[in-house]
Amino acid sequence: MTRPISNALSIAHIGLRVLIVLNWIYGAIVLALLVGMFVAEPWTMTALGVPAPAQFAALAMGMRAIAALGLVAVPLNLALLTRLVAMVQTVGAGDPFVAANAHRLQAIAWILLGQQVLGLGIALIGKLVSTPGHALHLDAGFSPSGWLAVVLTFVLARVFAEGTRMREDLEGTV
Amino acid sequence: MTIAVKLDAMLHERRMTLTELAERVDITLANLSILKTGKARAVRFSTLEAICAALGCQPGDILEFVPD
Repeated sequence: MTRPISNALSIAHIGLRVLIVLNWIYGAIVLALLVGMFVAEPWTMTALGVPAPAQFAALAMGMRAIAALGLVAVPLNLALLTRLVAMVQTVGAGDPFVAANAHRLQAIAWILLGQQVLGLGIALIGKLVSTPGHALHLDAGFSPSGWLAVVLTFVLARVFAEGTRMREDLEGTV
Repeated sequence: MTIAVKLDAMLHERRMTLTELAERVDITLANLSILKTGKARAVRFSTLEAICAALGCQPGDILEFVPD
């Protein structure tokens, strides 16, 4: 059983590292898009299929706001992924039931909550600036599974903290 | 307030070493040492029972409540 577990850990570790790199790439693309919307607005907007900003100022403004919020997601994603990497490393080291992991899970729960709020904000902006002619189709908004993940992670963090405390007690029992 | 462990004094009284006690009660020397030095956070009834049986004493002879 040790080999499949260690293999799964290696895959998880590599997968998380890949996601960290992808997150940076995503951040760079969104940043470039945001800068382009200010520096070379006509060109960027045309490339995105948005007509002249004079006619659709609200749409352009909304897209800038969405890009800015998308940029906020980068440090959030990074914070989540680096904590997950640290947790996977403690599993690999053979001692995952430590207080640090309980704190990491708690932080991950808050980050997931932040991501859900961010998604709602992006969806709201998209709805506000969309016009019948130019609707923004965004993959953001209320996600029941996302909110369930937030609640589950908060519960799991609490369970982990209690479990760690109980183990510490048991370690000092003679 | 603390719970003081008087295992050292009891061992001295019984002319017994910690190693001998560890062998008799079937508890590791490391764990008995933790208990003796007052570093233990909890003591199982089974441990207390085994120590009392080996030393022929009462739990109160090993543990003492010391108010501040």
